[in-house]
Amino acid sequence: MITVTINGKEIKLEKPVTVLEAARSAGIKIPTLCYHEQLEKYGGCRLCLVEVEKMPRLQTACTLMAADGMVVRTETEAIADVRRGVLEFLLINHPLDCPYCDKAGECELQDLVEKYGPTTGRFKEKKRKAPESLEDPVLVRNMERCVVCTRCVRMCEGVQGAAAIGVINRGGHSHVEPFSGGRFECEYCGNCVSACPVGAIMSRLHRHSYRPWQLVSETETICPYCGVGCTLVAQVRDDVIKRVVPRIGTPVNNGLLCSRGRFGYEFVGSKERLTTPLIKKNGVLEQSTWEEAIGFVARRLGELKTRYGGDAIAGIASPRCTNEDNYVFQKFMRVALGTNNIDSTARTGYAGAQAFIENIFGQGATANLIPGLANADAVLIAGGDPTAVNPILGLQIRSCARKGGNILTIGHVKGVRHYNPAELKPNVHTEAALLEGVVTALKEKKGLPGSIQTLESKIKEIHRPLDDAARTCGVTEKDLAAFVEALSTASTPALVIGKEVIQSAGGSYNLLLLSAVAYLVNARIHLLSERANEQGVVDMGCAPDLLPGCRPLSYVEFRRRYEAAWKSPIPEKQGMTIFDMIDAAKAGSLRALYVMGENPVFNLPNAKGVEAALRGLELLVVQDIFMTETARMADVVFPALSWAEREGTFTNMERRLQLLRKAVNREGMEDWRIVVEVAGNMGVRMHFSSAEDIFAEITRVSPLHRDLSYEELEKSGIYPYKGEPLRGVTGDIAVAKPAAGDGGGLFLGIERPLFHSGTLSRRAPGLVKIYETAVARISPATAAARSLKEGDMVRVSSVIGYLELPVAVDFAVRDALVMITNNFEGRGALSLMELVLDPVLRAPVADKTAVTIEKAGR
Amino acid sequence: MFSEAAVREIQEIRAKYPTARAALLPAIYVAQREFGWLTPEAYEAVSDLLGVPRAIARGVGTFYAMYRQKPMGRHVVQLCTNVSCMILGAERLVDFLKSRFGLEPGGTTQDGRFSLVIMECIGACGTAPAMLVNDDFYENLTEKSIEEILGKYR
Amino acid sequence: MEKVLLKNIENPHSADIDEYKKAGGYRSLSKALDMASKDIIEEVKKAGLRGRGGAGFPVAMKWTFASGDPKFPKYLLCNADEGEPGTFKDRPILEKNPHLLIEGMVISGYALGAEYGYIYLRGEYPAAKDILNKAISQAYENGYLGDGILGKKTRFHLAVHQGAGAYICGEETALIESLEGDKGQPRIKPPFPVNVGVFSKPTVVNNVETLANLPYLIGIGGEAYARIGSPECPGPKIYCVSGHVERPGVYELPMGTSLKDIIYTHCGGIKGGKKLKAVIPGGISTPVLPPEKIDCPMDFVNMPKHGSMLGSGAVIVMDETVCLVKVCYRALKFFEHESCGKCTPCREGTGWLRSILGRIESGEGMEGDVDLLLSVAGNIIGKTFCPLGDGAASVTQNFIKHFRPEFEAHIKNKGCGARQEKL
Repeated sequence: MITVTINGKEIKLEKPVTVLEAARSAGIKIPTLCYHEQLEKYGGCRLCLVEVEKMPRLQTACTLMAADGMVVRTETEAIADVRRGVLEFLLINHPLDCPYCDKAGECELQDLVEKYGPTTGRFKEKKRKAPESLEDPVLVRNMERCVVCTRCVRMCEGVQGAAAIGVINRGGHSHVEPFSGGRFECEYCGNCVSACPVGAIMSRLHRHSYRPWQLVSETETICPYCGVGCTLVAQVRDDVIKRVVPRIGTPVNNGLLCSRGRFGYEFVGSKERLTTPLIKKNGVLEQSTWEEAIGFVARRLGELKTRYGGDAIAGIASPRCTNEDNYVFQKFMRVALGTNNIDSTARTGYAGAQAFIENIFGQGATANLIPGLANADAVLIAGGDPTAVNPILGLQIRSCARKGGNILTIGHVKGVRHYNPAELKPNVHTEAALLEGVVTALKEKKGLPGSIQTLESKIKEIHRPLDDAARTCGVTEKDLAAFVEALSTASTPALVIGKEVIQSAGGSYNLLLLSAVAYLVNARIHLLSERANEQGVVDMGCAPDLLPGCRPLSYVEFRRRYEAAWKSPIPEKQGMTIFDMIDAAKAGSLRALYVMGENPVFNLPNAKGVEAALRGLELLVVQDIFMTETARMADVVFPALSWAEREGTFTNMERRLQLLRKAVNREGMEDWRIVVEVAGNMGVRMHFSSAEDIFAEITRVSPLHRDLSYEELEKSGIYPYKGEPLRGVTGDIAVAKPAAGDGGGLFLGIERPLFHSGTLSRRAPGLVKIYETAVARISPATAAARSLKEGDMVRVSSVIGYLELPVAVDFAVRDALVMITNNFEGRGALSLMELVLDPVLRAPVADKTAVTIEKAGR
Repeated sequence: MFSEAAVREIQEIRAKYPTARAALLPAIYVAQREFGWLTPEAYEAVSDLLGVPRAIARGVGTFYAMYRQKPMGRHVVQLCTNVSCMILGAERLVDFLKSRFGLEPGGTTQDGRFSLVIMECIGACGTAPAMLVNDDFYENLTEKSIEEILGKYR
Repeated sequence: MEKVLLKNIENPHSADIDEYKKAGGYRSLSKALDMASKDIIEEVKKAGLRGRGGAGFPVAMKWTFASGDPKFPKYLLCNADEGEPGTFKDRPILEKNPHLLIEGMVISGYALGAEYGYIYLRGEYPAAKDILNKAISQAYENGYLGDGILGKKTRFHLAVHQGAGAYICGEETALIESLEGDKGQPRIKPPFPVNVGVFSKPTVVNNVETLANLPYLIGIGGEAYARIGSPECPGPKIYCVSGHVERPGVYELPMGTSLKDIIYTHCGGIKGGKKLKAVIPGGISTPVLPPEKIDCPMDFVNMPKHGSMLGSGAVIVMDETVCLVKVCYRALKFFEHESCGKCTPCREGTGWLRSILGRIESGEGMEGDVDLLLSVAGNIIGKTFCPLGDGAASVTQNFIKHFRPEFEAHIKNKGCGARQEKL
């Protein structure tokens, strides 16, 4: 126990802290500027100088560790003089432009001067001038206001790990700049904006359109973009979100956001939002009323069900919708339409991979805490760049590296390139051979633990000596051996699996091998998730073989229990996956498709094929917030409320359940309410009047969600559940090995950029300004071999179509790949991709589409 | 891009330290020599070779007075004007360089022959006033001697 | 007194290893390697050797801390970033006597258990870089550096790290930052470098002159060494004298030689028989002294009692023709230029002082400016992160303390009363 005396008050400290922290714990305020609780100590601003007995000089409270018996004074005449003096120094070159500075009202300098500062200035010379920089599309830099506290730089380098900005020059000429001096060209997390205590780095979104004190409401909710589930605070004026900020202390992201979270919110207020229900009349979507549209859909579904049976109808749920939406939707499909034809785009990778892994290790195997990654001593990354797909998770990996952890990557992972990763870059389509080598070596080094027999029998079959693996994959044996050594000596390793290894030829085999690695070194598994509620949509039973709580439909005792709860029979027959639905539509056996918050024409491979298949439907119903490619084809379109306009819950990739709160008001209906209305019109009453009602039912029905409540969620997200995980339902491990490699040529790759997510992000002007258009990303070697340079327009063709795009030459791209994003309208990578499914995972194989690239317009 | 020789030189320097980052200052010197001054490409080359983020390399590069952030003449006259040199006439020499060679502090002659950098102490106070021309020391300077000395640098 | 540090420097080949050996070089190293490392520290303690960089910290104490830290490897850094204006005492050692420094470093490294050393050489000494590099390779070839020095188990590796023009890197933690490839900005202490220094390992930073004392000290033993010069801080000391004296230059004299003797006896008095106006005794950061206060022993202990500091022993002598407002202005211009920018008072305050001094100097001073200078200096001193800002403020305070009327006259007369054409 350490006892210090501050201003005569005795403070007892359990653990060593700084004098500043000790003072704050006792409610004693010491002014600071360069101090920031998330950043390394700096001691530069000198505002927190205090008197300490027996120390001749004044001490900075933010750096001085409180020692037992220390006597500190923070409020003396001398200290008041120091504060006044320091603030005077900070003001001599400050422009004092508070009237039009967006920071005024929440500016730390302004507040400090008001409290401690001088009232008149004695500086008679001209102030330093630095024109405000508007060169960047989303960030504005005003170096006249900068107090050189370096919080932004420390945030960027030490926390975000991007090191995109730095202090340039020295002394009085010090100022903060990105490398280019103009555009930031960074990860655009905007965490520098959060860190800045003054108006030196600010967001340009809604610049000069509000004063901080006019942001009348503040709503803490969950980010709508990826599966990390960051808590964000939407600040609102006149029912418009003016900005989104993070909050320190929130469970997953603790004061940090990424570009999508911070700058991607503007889609909510987009003029392109759908406003009224639409019904197709004579081939044209026309404005309608809710009553008419709901009545029409209910009637048509009823007719089709009667004529063809429920199994001629299918529903696509959404990893962007809430648990409540998805729960109601699958219940509607099962109860009102009597079919298990319900699935989502989680099928394209996440759902199958998770099922595969849980089949081996048990339910919850991938539900590991994201911040835990920072404490791993080794992180193996396979199948993508976590810093782009799940940026806040990526930060934990960087944090791990900073603490001395080993970062191991299969393939080049751009986002960790500054962290000295051990990198193995196997030739295209040889990942499995590489992993076989790793598993073989680990098996020899570590031995088999003997706990999971099904897996061990598979491991025993794997045999590929290191030299053979190295030769096959085009890596050196030395690098491979070092890689294995680093893995085998780690005591708290983690494995991060991205979609690229899942969506690849032999995806199930890759997963088996990765599971074997995780098993042999006892690694925690993190499965990257691109959508905010990808886990939730699965957990809610939006899958043809699962009931809510991930209970297999095939187990009759489960089905009985749900039938009792729902007071309705549940069909025994397993439903169609999303891909089966497309096939069935094409074949004519599927007559109607109800799509909630999804855009299959854009988000599934072979877009044209999907479009053609859907054209044959007798009824296509779409609920969405925008007129998507799929909505355009619909017979009825319902405008839904967006994420910001309602309550509900999301389940993140850790299986943390978190509450969404309504940030802005808008007329209209939540997705679940539309479904409830349609059901009601079909004579199936679902007695829900709020999301909370639905949640209450979920907690009664799903054993996984037992005993939870919104009341509890109000306080913070819930992790882990108190409910029962499914145990003992593991079966044989089925895998499909990939065929031999295809040799040379170019293949299509899906770029998953940090700045986009698809339908939402392309309506977020902030994100579009950062990443404006689709490009064909190729390696320098690919470019050189075809005499292509940055910006050249090229035609990228596959057997099913082509796209014309500008070239971007990128050293991070592998030589055999052409990387294209699937985010921009009419230019999605999936429109080129042939639909081939992994027979086990039922997920598409994304790396087998051969493409050619040539100069366009010749 | 660095020449192969420069890459080798930086790799040799790198081997003297336990971290790549520690080779940053000497590597920036090499880049300055290779590129003439610290162009964005120069910083990028250093950054790529040592794995130090570009903004950090530039932040470090702009901190130190002897790194050149703009193009320089063929010969760099580094004249000290700190106290010991000043009280022995360094300012007169600054005026002389201006009137005789058209060389302003921080500037470059029109023919690109000389640049003038005003230095803080260069450790030749006992033989003040003093200057360095490129890497060569010249001491006890007078207007006459400075004219002779600069005459040697074409 | 026999010359120890500047021994043999008149010899044009003094930097060559053979010349150095001929004059007895590297003998102390053999002697040292036969001693236990703790005994070397004990000798240094007996000798009372203090750091010659300016602060005068007891060397043995620093070494004891570092050698007692359990972390390995340990580093020995030679601070050759001689940047204090007026100082040119280390340059002759670096350029003329590099092996003395190398020998001193190997002995020191052995004493404190450091196997790696770097000489952090200021960028402004390009000639010294080449000389040192050559000397280091000679030392490697002769088995004085590397693994198995003189056939013993001792190993010591040494390299030169060139700075790039930043006075602040003379501060040891800034030097460490700079060596690690960062900006030369001082670190928070604690932890101190002796525990967490370069590359997070125990590190001793010693000045060139300090390390160059080692071969002689070991050669004659601590007790004999302690009999040279001031009893409180003994040893030979290089004083470097510039400005208006007849014979400026470097003088190796016993520590504690009087400032007056240095100027009038060794340097031949004021140039051209002019009157002495002021002396800066230890480099520009040390308080200026008026002529009546120069009868003081130049050492670490006594100078503070006489209102100044020994600093680097860089004596700048100014005769009656010098405008002290201008000198003060030039000094502040220096501090402003060299402020690293980390802390507010130094970053903003040095420039402000410079601008007030600038307007006084150019005849645009306003009434109250002298008090404003004192007030601004008062807001800096004692509030900065490192001593650089303190130096800038104390220079201002001391010039005003001793020569206030000259400042007031500048303001009243709108410029230098006795303004000659440019000095």
